[in-house]
Amino acid sequence: MSVAFRTIRELGADLRAGRLSPVDLAEQCLHRLETVGGKLNAVVTLTRERALEQARRAERELRAGRDRGPLHGIPYGAKDLLATSGGIPTTWGAAPFRNRCFDYDATVIRRLEEAGAVLVAKLAMVEFAGGMGYRQPNASFTGPGISPWSPDVWSGGSSSGSGSAVGAGCVPFAIGSETWGSILSPATFCGVTGLRPTYGRVSRHGAMALCWTLDKLGPLALTADDCGLVLDAIAGPDAADPTSSGRPYRYDADDTGRPFRLAVVRGTVDGAQPAVRDAFLKALDTLRALGTIEEITLPDRPYEAMTRVILWAEASSASETLIESGGIAELTAPEDRITPYARDVVLAKDYLRALKLRGVVAREIDGVLRRYDAIVGPSRAAVGARLGEEFRSPIRGGAPDVLGAVGNAAGLPAVGVPCGLTPDGLPVGIQFMGRAWDENVVLAAARAWQSRTDFHRRRPPLT
Amino acid sequence: MAPVDDEAALLFALIRHRYGARLDEAQLAIVRETIDGMLRDVAALRAAAVPDNAEPVQSFVPFRADP
Repeated sequence: MSVAFRTIRELGADLRAGRLSPVDLAEQCLHRLETVGGKLNAVVTLTRERALEQARRAERELRAGRDRGPLHGIPYGAKDLLATSGGIPTTWGAAPFRNRCFDYDATVIRRLEEAGAVLVAKLAMVEFAGGMGYRQPNASFTGPGISPWSPDVWSGGSSSGSGSAVGAGCVPFAIGSETWGSILSPATFCGVTGLRPTYGRVSRHGAMALCWTLDKLGPLALTADDCGLVLDAIAGPDAADPTSSGRPYRYDADDTGRPFRLAVVRGTVDGAQPAVRDAFLKALDTLRALGTIEEITLPDRPYEAMTRVILWAEASSASETLIESGGIAELTAPEDRITPYARDVVLAKDYLRALKLRGVVAREIDGVLRRYDAIVGPSRAAVGARLGEEFRSPIRGGAPDVLGAVGNAAGLPAVGVPCGLTPDGLPVGIQFMGRAWDENVVLAAARAWQSRTDFHRRRPPLT
Repeated sequence: MAPVDDEAALLFALIRHRYGARLDEAQLAIVRETIDGMLRDVAALRAAAVPDNAEPVQSFVPFRADP
């Protein structure tokens, strides 16, 4: 039985019915990561030994009637910025760290182990999670991430391998991280579902810091429902991360039973590629069956500029040693060896001004969102760039992304789901962004969308 | 307030002073271009109305080891 492209719930049912063993499942994922994943530059390290040990334990426990929950025996991959013990390297996608090992597990890795999940791979990523200012897909020592939908198209970043490994059916879910776009971008370009949780919902302990006040960890999977199952396992307070929230989280998979109240920001498709705009406008027709859609206008604020200033200042500080030492000269992308120097000159006063404005924006956007379940918009304004081509990025100011700027600066949850294919056969996505701590609301909206569409069940040609 | 171009030149001079020895002219030109772009954003940020008494969103928690 092939296990590729099967959801966590489907695999879980087979594991519990004895139709599938955790060890066989892990072996199949490892094989597929090695073959298909290898062609997509999705994998940094296969964690075969640890995977088989965890899978054998899951097999023993499930046979003995000890059930740790929906992730028990389910394989996954982790973006290679999450610390792993046991001699498994954690490279941050960067050549200078290709052999660097930690002696502890990130909290997310530990929580997934406690939930019985099976770590099969550390997955490829853009070096330093894109924090050095990359402009084109070849910005990782493992090569450019490739979308399962075309051998010539980028998988997105910075959680490149997390997107392509799920999109190619190598693993049922993966963990990624987002500072600004790094979950929603690969989810879109690889045709999968990605959840960016509320800032503080998931502990960042053991994860590479790109920007302390912007970084979030979250799942990429085949469905919104699967993302909820994973979030349930990894969410919660952690003494090792003082920014993690004490608010409890339990995934609620029940339908709300009422129409959704959705909002669209006026001009949200301005600047989007025509194929993205067309797919989004068509998606709105489907969404009208789920509830109401109102066009809204956000307060006039320099959202993108504000978020960029925060990002430059924090990224510059988080990687200060490597920048000051000149170690960035060893990075893969030529622009990553230069751009970080410019960020030395962000004035403290401007950074603090951005943080002050951020507080104002957080209150204003909550005031807007309290009237709706979610704001909807394109997950990305463009499809994946061709390999070897420079792409337009909101982080550099080259592409519009008001929702991304507001959502990440205000720490709001968003789920990105497939909403169509371009005439060239490349995936396009739609996002549902909600109030802080309302992951269950945006997941419910995304589940409702996926119950009425089949975009998340379409399979890419490369697989 | 000094024009952005002047500010960019001053900030670029600082970068050249700190890192000029390890960057060639083409690379320094990219640094200058990057600073110009950053200052366009900074100008937009400085133009936004923010009350002086708005507290920056950052958290600090006094530390005391247990017990």
